[in-house]
Amino acid sequence: MKKFLLILFVFTFTIAFYGCREDDTLKDDQPTVALVLKTLNNPFFIEMQKGAKEAAQKLKINLIVQAAEREVDVEKQMQIIENLIQRNVSVICVTPSGSKEIIPAIVKANKANIPVIIVDTRVDAKLLAESGGDVATFIGSDNVDGGRLAGKFIIERLNGKGNLAILEGIPGHETNDARISGLYDALKNNNGIKILTSQTANWERDQGFNVFQNILQAHPEVQALFACNDMMALGAVEAIAAAGRTGEIVVVGFDAIEDSRNAINENKMDGSIAQHPYEMGRISIESAFKIITGKEIPSEIPIKIELITKETYKKNIE
Amino acid sequence: MLIKNLWSQNARELGTVLGLVGLSLFFWAWSPYFLTISNLLNIAQQTSINAIIAVGLTFVIITAGIDLSVGSIMAFAGVVMASLLQADLPIYLAIIIGLLVGTGSGIVNGLLISYGKLPPFISTLGMMSVARGAALLFTDGRPISGFSSDFRFIATGEIFYIPVPVIIMIVVYLLAHFVLTKTKLGRYTYAIGGNEEASLLSGINVKLMKTIIYGLSGMLSGLAAVLLTSRLNSAQPIAGIMYELDAIAAAVIGGTSLMGGEGKISGTLIGALIMGVLRNGLNLLGVSSFIQQIVIGSVIIVAVLVDMAIKKGKN
Repeated sequence: MKKFLLILFVFTFTIAFYGCREDDTLKDDQPTVALVLKTLNNPFFIEMQKGAKEAAQKLKINLIVQAAEREVDVEKQMQIIENLIQRNVSVICVTPSGSKEIIPAIVKANKANIPVIIVDTRVDAKLLAESGGDVATFIGSDNVDGGRLAGKFIIERLNGKGNLAILEGIPGHETNDARISGLYDALKNNNGIKILTSQTANWERDQGFNVFQNILQAHPEVQALFACNDMMALGAVEAIAAAGRTGEIVVVGFDAIEDSRNAINENKMDGSIAQHPYEMGRISIESAFKIITGKEIPSEIPIKIELITKETYKKNIE
Repeated sequence: MLIKNLWSQNARELGTVLGLVGLSLFFWAWSPYFLTISNLLNIAQQTSINAIIAVGLTFVIITAGIDLSVGSIMAFAGVVMASLLQADLPIYLAIIIGLLVGTGSGIVNGLLISYGKLPPFISTLGMMSVARGAALLFTDGRPISGFSSDFRFIATGEIFYIPVPVIIMIVVYLLAHFVLTKTKLGRYTYAIGGNEEASLLSGINVKLMKTIIYGLSGMLSGLAAVLLTSRLNSAQPIAGIMYELDAIAAAVIGGTSLMGGEGKISGTLIGALIMGVLRNGLNLLGVSSFIQQIVIGSVIIVAVLVDMAIKKGKN
């Protein structure tokens, strides 16, 4: 029994000590800023972390990056923020896992006089005001603009006339709704584009495949697809290939991840909307630094958003 | 004398308690922010939801069963309750209906297991999916947000500086401890897990007892839903994914045997606190979230290893 208790302590402590090596980079004489991400198993957020880390190094800031184990688990994200409040960090930057659910955590940080910077996903402004919460700034791309860019591109490709299908992420998700509303906004002055169907594939690649396969069956006249993220678009690309219709349907995704850039280069996909997570991370930390040093920051900092097509892709490579 | 008595009675829990104390000492040594009143209350408050779900699982696991549906039932009960709150139903009524939704789902599990003769794993696996789907269907996938300050008091309020969720957790644990140690239901719970055949032959209504126990687990998921909804000011149909595993971990770290027949409510509380302390301490130290997962997993494994070693030593 004693032997095993000993093992318990040695084992736990060894791992914990190992983990604490990360903490060695934290210096007492520097301000500490926390970046709380939705998840760390998505290339988008890894890029963001990279941008933040490099900015923190340059500005001599201690950076703590934390994320919940699961992207949708906003309660764990709230726990992390509560713990960072206890840790008394100078500024908390957060990419909310839920636009409404994160608000109680923001209010708690406010009460502890810790400024909160919102990155990437907006919080619900009305509920925030009702709860008496306050955020220092929002740093992110305008998803409505992104949806609009995609819509214009689809109109251009179809020469103003054709049948469109839409693959949505999780309905009610702020990001999803903003992208869709941008698309509708671009299409509203154009009567030539007919929306055949708009279905959810829950942001996932395999569901994008299945759902679009069904759409191809039900609506063989489909000429263009807008998917609210690249994972679903890539799933649809495979479904199109399986139906032997590669090149016949205009496919536009969102996020411009590496796989979709490759698909665009190989003419399997036509376009994707690129955000710049690295910039989001960098500017978050720079803004936090400005707050710490008492400088003013605007209440909203837009990050550019752009359309990637085969033409722009080539230009980037050169 | 009293201390000596307590000592010998609780020898099995000693390892878990030492683990909790050891972890706390460790974090105290490394972080000046750990051992403050406000942080300890913070940990207790964060632990409450998992700890309450884990009580139900302790009962279930002692009968040699398992309940995988608690997270989904929590989400379902939460969205039903939230929609009633938004329809301006009195708070107490909405809460009661939320608890009933949880209890009802749990009773269905119990009926399927005792009368349908399904293995608990299968029945609750099915319920995990059914309740999740029901929650999504009920809300069309959207969260229901924004409640009165009276309802928010349940998770954000304090009574004599103690957060309300902590008080609720303590009350639940005292009641559960009483039921498990002093009532027929408690004795039967151990008996069923120890030897179901013998329990049946000695005249215990095993089917009824199991139905009650799974119903209890569902009701506690409903109670967790009240706390979660109040805490986030929102009920999400996708809330509580994998919470069943955290609750199982708390029970198992606390010394409840998956083989049935053994376990203590106090052990589960310590197990839940160990998980809470770990998450909090690792956040305070700024440890990478990947390493956090490794540490939490390792602690579960080591805790069970120690538990087995202690039992072996006793025999």
